[in-house]
Amino acid sequence: MSASPNFQDTLPKGQDVLTVTRLKKHFGGVKALDGVDFALRRGEIHALVGENGAGKSTLIRVLTGVHTTSDGVITLEGARYAPQTPHEAKGRGVQVVHQEFNLLDHLSVAENISIEALPRGRFGLFDRKETRRRARAALDAIGLTDVDVDAEISSLGIAHRQLVEIARALQTKSTILILDEPTATLTDRETLRLFDIVLKLAADGVTVVFVSHHLDEVFRICDRVTVFRNGRTIITQNISDTSPAEVVRHMVGRDLDQPLTQRPAVPDDAPVALALRDFRIVGCRDAGGVTFDLRYGEILGIAGLVGAGRTELLRGIFGVDPVVSGALQRDGKPVQFVNPAQAIASGLAFVTEDRKDEGLILSMPIATNTSLASMNLITRLGLLRRDAEATLATAQGAKLHLKFGKITDPVSSLSGGNQQKVVLAKWLATQPRVLLLDEPTRGVDVGAKAEIYTILRGLADSGIAMLVVSSELPELMTLCDRILVMAEDVIQGSVLPKDYTAENILRLAYGQN
Amino acid sequence: MEKTNDTKRDIWALVNRAGIGLALIGLVVFFSVSTEHFLSANNLTNILTQITINLILAVGMTFVILVGGIDLSVGSVMAFAAVVAGKVLAMPELGLAEAVTLATIAGLLGGVVCGLLNGYLSARWAIPSFIITLGMLNIARGAALQVTNAQTVYDFPKEFSEFGASLIAGVPVVFILALLLVAVAWFILNQTVLGRMIYSIGSNEEAVRLAGHSVFRYKLIAFTICGLCAGIAAIVYMARLNIASPIAGIGFELNAIAAVIIGGASLNGGRGSVIGTLLGAFIIGVLANGLILLGLSDFMRQMITGVVLIVAVLLDQFRARYGRSV
Repeated sequence: MSASPNFQDTLPKGQDVLTVTRLKKHFGGVKALDGVDFALRRGEIHALVGENGAGKSTLIRVLTGVHTTSDGVITLEGARYAPQTPHEAKGRGVQVVHQEFNLLDHLSVAENISIEALPRGRFGLFDRKETRRRARAALDAIGLTDVDVDAEISSLGIAHRQLVEIARALQTKSTILILDEPTATLTDRETLRLFDIVLKLAADGVTVVFVSHHLDEVFRICDRVTVFRNGRTIITQNISDTSPAEVVRHMVGRDLDQPLTQRPAVPDDAPVALALRDFRIVGCRDAGGVTFDLRYGEILGIAGLVGAGRTELLRGIFGVDPVVSGALQRDGKPVQFVNPAQAIASGLAFVTEDRKDEGLILSMPIATNTSLASMNLITRLGLLRRDAEATLATAQGAKLHLKFGKITDPVSSLSGGNQQKVVLAKWLATQPRVLLLDEPTRGVDVGAKAEIYTILRGLADSGIAMLVVSSELPELMTLCDRILVMAEDVIQGSVLPKDYTAENILRLAYGQN
Repeated sequence: MEKTNDTKRDIWALVNRAGIGLALIGLVVFFSVSTEHFLSANNLTNILTQITINLILAVGMTFVILVGGIDLSVGSVMAFAAVVAGKVLAMPELGLAEAVTLATIAGLLGGVVCGLLNGYLSARWAIPSFIITLGMLNIARGAALQVTNAQTVYDFPKEFSEFGASLIAGVPVVFILALLLVAVAWFILNQTVLGRMIYSIGSNEEAVRLAGHSVFRYKLIAFTICGLCAGIAAIVYMARLNIASPIAGIGFELNAIAAVIIGGASLNGGRGSVIGTLLGAFIIGVLANGLILLGLSDFMRQMITGVVLIVAVLLDQFRARYGRSV
């Protein structure tokens, strides 16, 4: 087997390989796709962008055989294409790598790569040797020579898992590879590696569909971009003929508000809300620990690569994970939180990174989620006061401009941005003085992002101290009064607004100061 | 767009909820038409008596299943609680009031202790409750046999069994007791912080923990309530049969789980209701009674109950799938 992935290159590059005409898909009364027209050329990297709910995900599901629709026409390589099952789609050469991983944690890399058709040897027994050989070839084909095929998936980092998924998708005949938010969990260095692989694939004639919220990435590697809004395709443009601002304008259908203006610096004599001294949590690789002061009214950012220990630091402060040594001071007084309840009682709140697993109870009503951290406000003698709960949730929702049907609707009925607002509402209901935020706008569309920034700025102006962990440098640079850069569980340095450049921050993050 | 979506979901929720009730009504109509005695006052009293113990166990099981656990030990715990209570009740030196009071306390305590242990061990050390309660199933059964030397305890005061057999307007007093328990459980699950926490933990334990609540505490309470219900079931069982056998209640846990699941609960936790459990217990009881009246063997009855359980879960899956794709 050659070192190159297996794809068809019968047609010349640049020709339309897939065309979609007037595609519609309705779920009950919801028009998820309401007339989609677009085309993919062989060997191009084509971005699909649009706010959450614009129809990108549904289109991908139709293209990969998860959803079927008879309304509209798709042709693939000149033939009618209407896959009824994911299996059929794969057979036609349409591969997808999802945002959520489909790997089996306790099997090896090799077994995962061959899982769709495990090789059989004599007597139909599992052929381990062939499995490893195929895996090696698939990994080498995308330049992953440093990954051990016998490693268990659970031992790999998120970036490598994603690349293993890509290797798996590409080992069978691939005409089109769809990457759904591939960089959402990757660090910049890992993203670069992914881009190298994507560019190589495109050069080999594979058409790559790149779904992303990150326009800078779209403009870095894509050839063309198609914008979705409300289930329709708005426009397809060459990247060279457009600009991020124009794409955003197409996405939201209006010009976005001006970027936030610079905030006046927080005065040095503002009281310190939270102070860490040589703070170390379980598993901390550094003997020194973390030391910093967070003042009231200040938005302090924490930048760093995935795995730098940022989330762990927040969890340690909030009493989720045990602290090994060092001190925590709240309003100058030493404190020690052994569980979140104590942290909350001391005026802390923690907007976690993962809405689905840690932040929300998706199946439960908006009101229930909003009151979850402040049950004392809506109960009397252990009994629920539903009217008080509805009032609380409605008031908090109004403050955050939450868009919802009924306050008793499940949170799962909301868009990503509005779900994130419910998480915020839940914590603001506790009237916190110190707000810890981990990736506050992950999976949130552009419009809602700007809105959340404005909300956070307002909270800081009202005197709340904020600690923001984010993997998006522009986010930190927009939002924060000061950015601490973390690597290897320790603060590598601090950057002030006048020195805000990606280069300055990344240099510290990579430990090259 | 959102609106029609909502209405459709609401209708489905209604059909789903009413579905169990409709199935029950269908069964009642079917057996009324196809058998002579089903609707007789005597037989209806019989049915209510027969479902009482399963209903009491199933109410406790509802709490445990809602937090995402399971309790396989309730049948054994019931037997253990019964023989402990029976030993006290059969003490000749005690007066009637004393004996009944002390025996009831002993039986309930026996159930509570087992439930507490189940809850503590599974919640504190994050061991699947399936395994802990499987252990408890054996421990409690062994203890019941050990305490009694494998002999049935009897010689209870006459008044005790008279209470167990008494009727009010044709309705067994013990069934009324069980209905009262359903009402209390409904109140706890729907109107109190405890109930809210039980549903929330079953849906997303981590979110509840991060919101500053003690997941351990609420799980402990859920399992303890389940043990307490096994204790209550033990007293009712003694009052009805006038004995306490160490081999009572074998397999009762399965009927209790079946009632909760037929009632629409999810084994993953977070979804279900005690009203559903009530209907589930009725469906199992009416089936059992009606099929025997039809002349089917007890073996056939067992098979059909199993089929009903599977069909209930399948229907629920279809509903869940439909709900997702909307």
